[in-house]
Amino acid sequence: MSMDARLIEHMMNPKNYGTLEAADAQGIGKNPDNGEKVAIYIRVGKDETDPYIEDMKFQAIGCTTTVVAGSMLTEEAIGLNLNGVKNLVEATMNLLDKLPSEDAACSEMVALAIKASVDTYEERRSDPEYPVITYKVQNSCVPKEENMQKEEN
Amino acid sequence: MKTVMIKTHEAWLATLMAGFMSKTENKQVLFDFSNILFRHFNWLENEIIELEESYSYERDAIPIKVEKLSEMLNNIIHRLDEIDLQLLSSPDKNLDERISSDIKYMRDVLHTMKDEDITAFSMERKFPGIDLTEEATDALTLFLFEETYKEYELIMIYNYLKAHSSDAYLNRIFQILIDESFFHLKRFGDMGAKMGILAVPRVVMKELYQVEDVVQFLKDGINEELAAKEECKKLSEAVAKDSPELEKFFDFINHQENYHISLMTDALAYFAKKNND
Repeated sequence: MSMDARLIEHMMNPKNYGTLEAADAQGIGKNPDNGEKVAIYIRVGKDETDPYIEDMKFQAIGCTTTVVAGSMLTEEAIGLNLNGVKNLVEATMNLLDKLPSEDAACSEMVALAIKASVDTYEERRSDPEYPVITYKVQNSCVPKEENMQKEEN
Repeated sequence: MKTVMIKTHEAWLATLMAGFMSKTENKQVLFDFSNILFRHFNWLENEIIELEESYSYERDAIPIKVEKLSEMLNNIIHRLDEIDLQLLSSPDKNLDERISSDIKYMRDVLHTMKDEDITAFSMERKFPGIDLTEEATDALTLFLFEETYKEYELIMIYNYLKAHSSDAYLNRIFQILIDESFFHLKRFGDMGAKMGILAVPRVVMKELYQVEDVVQFLKDGINEELAAKEECKKLSEAVAKDSPELEKFFDFINHQENYHISLMTDALAYFAKKNND
């Protein structure tokens, strides 16, 4: 991870870290390889024609890169309508190829947790008891060169 | 009672952070006070367990970005005042009196502390007297963020395990691991403050400290310690050219992890023996 002032600010003071007491839905992004996970909590603005993210919080079992990704993406997601959030998730997923694999896994985990929270919310509109959705990452958290060494061995 | 425990948790961390910020004789006093508040936190936790109430280590974010130490001291005094007020509703009057008496003394001392300019949030990322390459500086920055949180996480996990165990052998091991993590947390926090990147560790997720399978936790913990040793080795190599002092420090931390692994191995053997008996 190359560092600039904005990145360090997110490390020192992650935005939106924590839980939401009156959350409308929760979503989980998980890395099954190492047990890391991100939980997203959302409160949705009650505009029936165009619901929007009134508040979003996250918690993470993971590394600093995951926390920075959570801080940045939740900041961007707050205020967006649900389609806007889906576009944000899609745009993030499309950027993953350009990142080092270990950074890609962290960002993917956050993006998938956000997607899971919105999907859970939508399911709960027809079934209030719908369980929290969990999505698993496809990228590996292990740096590419270590992966290659493992394959060679 | 739960509110008092949460507020004490926050006051403990705020005081510890103030200790990191200070560069004068205030530092040791603030560290001592943070230790006292950590003990209060433990007493309150034990009281809640005795009352069979559920609780967690959830807490609010703790803003610490100040320019003068006095701002932080006033913040801590305010936190202590709130705790003192909340103690009135607690059922254990002896415990309240002990905590309240400590609070009164600490508040008086905090009021008389000399003010200091704070540089712990400058984001300069320069170690006083040491010129590191950009690559080494980035590696050290990331290490300090990762490990400051990790040590706090370990303190909370071992503290929770200890609070819920009455086994003297295991509690001795948990206490040593808590003390070790405190030492590391203090060193890394001090380094973070010197680099201008001091930050409060984030809240630990409940499922990490409410450990369901202690044996698996210890096995995973040994692997994490081995990974931490590798990180220390890499960092030691990265800073070796520019700072023999930091190189020695990270070699020292690396070797300390052996002791933690040995303690966790002892705990695993103890569990295995207990299961066989």
